[in-house]
Amino acid sequence: MYFKQILYNIKKNRKDNGLFFATLLIAIVAFYTLLSLESQDVMRFLNALEGDAIQKLMLLVPIIYVVSLFFVFFLVYFAYAYQMENRRREFGLYLMFGMKRGRLFLMLMCETILNSILSVFVGIPLALLLTESISLTTARLVGLGIIGHQFSLSPTAILGTVGGFFLVQLAAMLILSVRFCRMDPADLLKQETEAAKKPTSGKQGIFSFLSGILLLAVAYVMGVTLLRAFGMLPTLLILIFGSLGTFRLYRGLGSFIERALTARKSQKSGLYTFTGRQIQESVVHQHSSLAVSSLLLLTALACISFGIGMGVGRTGADARACDFSLMGTKEDVTAFIQDEENQNVIGDCYPMFIGNMYYGDSTFSLDGIVDAFETLPENDLRDNIVENLRQDEEYNDLYLIPLKSFNALLASMGEEKIQLADNQVAFYSRMAADSPNYKELWDQALRAGAYVEFTLPNGNVEKFEILPGVYYNNIVADRAITLSTTLVVPDDLYATCARHTSDKTDSADETGQMAEDGRAVGSAGGNAGDVATESGESTPLAGGVSNFAQDNDASTEPDTIDNVEDPFAWNIRLKDDVVKTQGLLPAIMEMQSRLDDSALSYDSYLGGIGRNLFYTVAASYLSIYLGVLFLLIANTVLVLKYLIWQRKNHGRYLTLMMLGAKKRDLSISMGKQIRLYFLLVLGVAVLNSIFAIWSMFTSFVKLPAGTSMLTVIILACVALVCFVLVEVLYICIVQHKSRKEILALHVSERPE
Amino acid sequence: MNAKRILQVQNISKTYGKGSSSTTALSGISFDVLKGEFLGIMGASGSGKTTLLNCIATMLKPTGGKILLNGEDVSAFKGSALADYRGNKIGYLYQSFELLDNLTARENIILPLSLHGVKNADAERALLPLAKHLDITEVLDKFPTQMSGGQKQRVAAARAFISAPSIVLADEPTGALDSKNAKTLLDKLSSLNQQEQKTIVMVTHDANAASYCSRILFIQDGTIFHELRKNGKNEPPEMFYERIMTVIAQLGGGSANVL
Repeated sequence: MYFKQILYNIKKNRKDNGLFFATLLIAIVAFYTLLSLESQDVMRFLNALEGDAIQKLMLLVPIIYVVSLFFVFFLVYFAYAYQMENRRREFGLYLMFGMKRGRLFLMLMCETILNSILSVFVGIPLALLLTESISLTTARLVGLGIIGHQFSLSPTAILGTVGGFFLVQLAAMLILSVRFCRMDPADLLKQETEAAKKPTSGKQGIFSFLSGILLLAVAYVMGVTLLRAFGMLPTLLILIFGSLGTFRLYRGLGSFIERALTARKSQKSGLYTFTGRQIQESVVHQHSSLAVSSLLLLTALACISFGIGMGVGRTGADARACDFSLMGTKEDVTAFIQDEENQNVIGDCYPMFIGNMYYGDSTFSLDGIVDAFETLPENDLRDNIVENLRQDEEYNDLYLIPLKSFNALLASMGEEKIQLADNQVAFYSRMAADSPNYKELWDQALRAGAYVEFTLPNGNVEKFEILPGVYYNNIVADRAITLSTTLVVPDDLYATCARHTSDKTDSADETGQMAEDGRAVGSAGGNAGDVATESGESTPLAGGVSNFAQDNDASTEPDTIDNVEDPFAWNIRLKDDVVKTQGLLPAIMEMQSRLDDSALSYDSYLGGIGRNLFYTVAASYLSIYLGVLFLLIANTVLVLKYLIWQRKNHGRYLTLMMLGAKKRDLSISMGKQIRLYFLLVLGVAVLNSIFAIWSMFTSFVKLPAGTSMLTVIILACVALVCFVLVEVLYICIVQHKSRKEILALHVSERPE
Repeated sequence: MNAKRILQVQNISKTYGKGSSSTTALSGISFDVLKGEFLGIMGASGSGKTTLLNCIATMLKPTGGKILLNGEDVSAFKGSALADYRGNKIGYLYQSFELLDNLTARENIILPLSLHGVKNADAERALLPLAKHLDITEVLDKFPTQMSGGQKQRVAAARAFISAPSIVLADEPTGALDSKNAKTLLDKLSSLNQQEQKTIVMVTHDANAASYCSRILFIQDGTIFHELRKNGKNEPPEMFYERIMTVIAQLGGGSANVL
């Protein structure tokens, strides 16, 4: 009988309270999603490439798991609190019928355990479905294709999910059961009404409200101005001012609403005053919960924006320039490319030359650039650039890329080639990809008429105008190789002035201008002088493999690069249709295995992807995960708190009906209350997050240059639409539930 | 007796449940209430007096019979007409006040008018004389939690009378008050009845409260068992009280048995 009662209760509760059950499922999905991270496609892929980094990331997972446990506890606690409030009369009756408190407690705990088991059976498949979709979507978004997808069921994740879920459930239920079981039957039987609270006295409330606004304004200004130089003290102060401001704002909001209500009510009728008072009361009663929910929503929005920003920055800006950079003798490279099987998959192949200015015969002057910078408004970054330029001059550090190499790269990527007139060069810096401010400043300097002067070996001093616009595409497959101050120069100038990088690796290391992993440059250098480039030949490499010779512009020019040493690397880009049909990852993997069989040393785009993905996953994935979790928790807590409060106000609606209020009017009033209640939380959260996100993206999170604004705007809009949809969904749930309760009201229910 | 018949209760019956488990609460009660009357309804616990009041208030639908207010059948009211009846045609005074505790006294009192589209500023005009009469002017801007029980019930009374209803139904209005506050309330209700010709129907178990009425119906087992009428204004309350107590004793159990 006892057990039957438990089963009956579970069934009834599930039917009556879908929101409660949905909350439990959210908790399960949240845990599993986090814990199964390791077995996701992206992670398995990364583990193979960047094992160490992934292990470090995985060390973070338990910490986030504990954070999630903490927050999910509140979620479950409020869900149960709502459930228990609805059942308090039932508990009172059990006690009155002679059920011992211990037995009631046992019954509630049994219900919890059975409920948890049921939730796990529904929740785990749901979580699996979700994680698999996330896995597939992420893989597709970062270009891994879906071919490598593997269904993953992680036993440890299931164990962790079930363990965490039970722990959180039992803890929440233990606290609530003890509270309810200790109450006297009379208190339980009586429908609890919210103890009326007088709003904080007018002046005090308004002071609180205004001081809240002031504190928030200070936090906003500090966020936007001081966070640029990311420091512990300003960050801490911003957090304190922001949080305190939010709490004080909500504390005083009740008085503010009262003033607004009093000012306007004389010309109003109907339920205007009642609706206003209800909203005022919900704020007065729950100002702390509103502040916490608002801050949670702010955190959610900030986390999601950060995640999207990092995701866009890492995946969007670094367009795939080339898939492999081969280092080997020209014969070896040619042999490899001419292989029939390889020919079918290789789209473009071209030599990438990178050189330094000769120490001796050729010198250069960067005064023209420095002068241009000095016409710009003074700031730290400008001074740093000028200082670096001076050092470059002093150490004779200037990298050169011949136009042919660079145009081949651009052509291969499908971008427009650079057209250099006589005495023109173009500026390249990989730093521009990571720092929009750096790029912007260079753009300004170049527009201001920056130029360089070369003293050629024959003693002539020639002035070269620098084209407007900064180039920053990856010049080789390995993204760790970056060049800072570099010029794309006409091929004849390159032939005259450049010294091949393979002869000067030590210098690059010394100045730090060339960040490299040593392997790439070393291996290229090892073959220096063995081959002469034959880019002038019509088909120097494999037939069908594009190279300089197929470039019309290049073939008409004197092929001066022939005279310099071998290239830094041979860049290979796979055919687009192969990538499309096979998926990028499998296509590159296949080529990689062929290259492993050859004697060639190489760098692969996958290495770049690995690192790239690591950032994407570590920063985007986890912060979006936390963001979504916070979003769900904040909303669910908000909804449940509202419903609990509303249930306590049940009697008011009955009185109103007895006084002649129509159910329709009550529904409308309820709808207004719900929308305003949410708006009060969302409004502050959104306003706070506008400044938070603004501060974030102008300080420690910077979108790399070239990140398409359109992409960012589209993503921001999509995120915003999703956010609005989530909120609308929650509002609809509450409205639907409230409307149902209003319709079910009957004046004869009024307690005698 | 030329006074207008405000309320006509005609052969009202109310049965809860169906078949063998059914319980009859009212079985064919009929009476009229005249304009300006202060009618008391007394009876033992379970006699059906609250069921009767709830039927008049449209909180319950009678199983049979008719209730006419100013000649209109109240059980036929639906939707807007029902809301209008509840808000405008009748006033209701509850034992537990039923004030909305997040509204001030002023807002509570004018609520029935607001609900029927009267602007708050206009409603204030009706409020002030009533508040003065019920001696609650100084608590008008207070919330219920800041008032005494007596003040709350007088605020509730003001709310019941604000829309000038045809009839005010009071369900044990002194039930939650101490004797001093109960007396103040009854004095106020009585003066409203006598000076303003307000019609009141009050359910009570308290003989003292009932002694303020001009006529009392005693209900037993769902039917009218006895009727007492005050002998004009000349009969002192103490005498009327004595007569009430005699009927209660006849009801078969003394006041301990009468709720």
